[in-house]
Amino acid sequence: MFNIEFNTLAEALLMQSQNGQNHGIYVWSVVLIVTLCISISFIFYKYKIKEISKKIK
Amino acid sequence: MQVIKFEFLKLLKKSRGWLGPILVFILIMIAYPLTVEVSDVELRQSFFSILWIAALLVIMLATEDIFLEDFNDGTLEQYAILQKNLSFIIGSKVFVYWLVIGVPISIIGTIFCVGTTSQTAFGYQILPVLLVSTYIFMNVFSFGNALSLTKGSVLGTLVTLPLLLPLLIILGKVVVAINFDLNYSGFLLLLLGILSIIIMIIPMIISYIIRAHLE
Amino acid sequence: MFQVNRAYPYIFYLSLITYLLSIFWGLFLTPEDFVQGNSYRIIYLHVPASFISQSLYLAMAIASAVYLIWKVKLSVYLVRSIAPIGAITTFIALISGSIWGIPTWGTWWVWDARIVSTLILFIMYLGLISLHDSFNNNEKADKFLSILVLVGSVNIPIIKMSVQWWSTLHQPASITLSEKPAIDLVMLYPLFGSIIGFTGLITCLVILSSKLQIIKREKNKSWVKDYV
Repeated sequence: MFNIEFNTLAEALLMQSQNGQNHGIYVWSVVLIVTLCISISFIFYKYKIKEISKKIK
Repeated sequence: MQVIKFEFLKLLKKSRGWLGPILVFILIMIAYPLTVEVSDVELRQSFFSILWIAALLVIMLATEDIFLEDFNDGTLEQYAILQKNLSFIIGSKVFVYWLVIGVPISIIGTIFCVGTTSQTAFGYQILPVLLVSTYIFMNVFSFGNALSLTKGSVLGTLVTLPLLLPLLIILGKVVVAINFDLNYSGFLLLLLGILSIIIMIIPMIISYIIRAHLE
Repeated sequence: MFQVNRAYPYIFYLSLITYLLSIFWGLFLTPEDFVQGNSYRIIYLHVPASFISQSLYLAMAIASAVYLIWKVKLSVYLVRSIAPIGAITTFIALISGSIWGIPTWGTWWVWDARIVSTLILFIMYLGLISLHDSFNNNEKADKFLSILVLVGSVNIPIIKMSVQWWSTLHQPASITLSEKPAIDLVMLYPLFGSIIGFTGLITCLVILSSKLQIIKREKNKSWVKDYV
């Protein structure tokens, strides 16, 4: 069941499909945006909690 | 009944409150064909969208101080202390505003519609839809105005504007139904159903908000 | 507060591992779609985000109702803390949907009912935050926030049912409760894992945000000084 779809790194970056279009840029840009959003949110909230804890102390 | 007559006289006295929005509506409807250099066929299709948008904006303008003067001179407090139902008073206030501003806008909109598309059947079909949708707009915008009563800003109205966008989607489909002679009565009954729910619920919510403001 | 603090690392790492494994599985180990080519893999990022954004609004609606009926202060803190996170997830759903639309439909924005309603949801989240912040954080602001959440919850059935009521460009639901799924099973399993993992991650964000909101609102109590 688990066969790896893309064999080399270049293929995984481009993600070419059967009819020859390169869809890699779309998929990887969405992955980048999602990772950025979620990690920035975590870091932002932790920073705010640290800041307000310092102010209370 | 007395409350309705009282509010009616109060609104008629403040002539910039009701004459202004109607004149702005006429101005927008006249200015649109002047600024759009299109042929006759395209004007007929895009006319309805400017009708809905003009009605939406004019009613937003008209309900900008529906509760403000009453709040400032203390009439709202007197209303809240009375034994009567505050939501009935608010409902009658919105009803009076609709009679004086919403109904003329619907009639003028119908006249412009008949004038642009030159088919009176459109006029007969679009008049009830305009009447019902202006009443729904007025209810939701007065809810938005009540939210930001003490601050005096338009933030409350702007926040409730996104709630009306699904209604605009439905109104767009009503126009398609009128053009192709489809399920017109179904859409009219849908709008009447939405109106009946909104008439019951929004005055209750507004009375709760106003009592929270007055504490 | 203390039980949640003890459980928090477990929730965080478990959901992070689930999410990353599902994304990895979906990106690299599933076969290519016949119609859409390889760009369908955005589904593993788009579907959890839109599902979570609607569920977060429902959670806000239930918490607002609890606040209005039983006057539990913690409920309204929860509502205020979920609002920014809901905005972030709706933003992710909108952006991933637009970028997915470019190879599939040829355009990145269509004015059809579900997409416009999700945009309305995003604007509602932002409006909720701005309305609450325009008051000076008192009881009036909490009441108005709860009322606006409840009135705006009419948008959620429109989003969920709009692909059934009107035939639009956005495809109908592939996973329902009663029928066989319309999507192949090999692609379905990473989707489930992705939804579960994303839910866990957003739960961690909600926990952090609520912690911030509680500490901010209860600054003057004595237990906060001991806790911090």
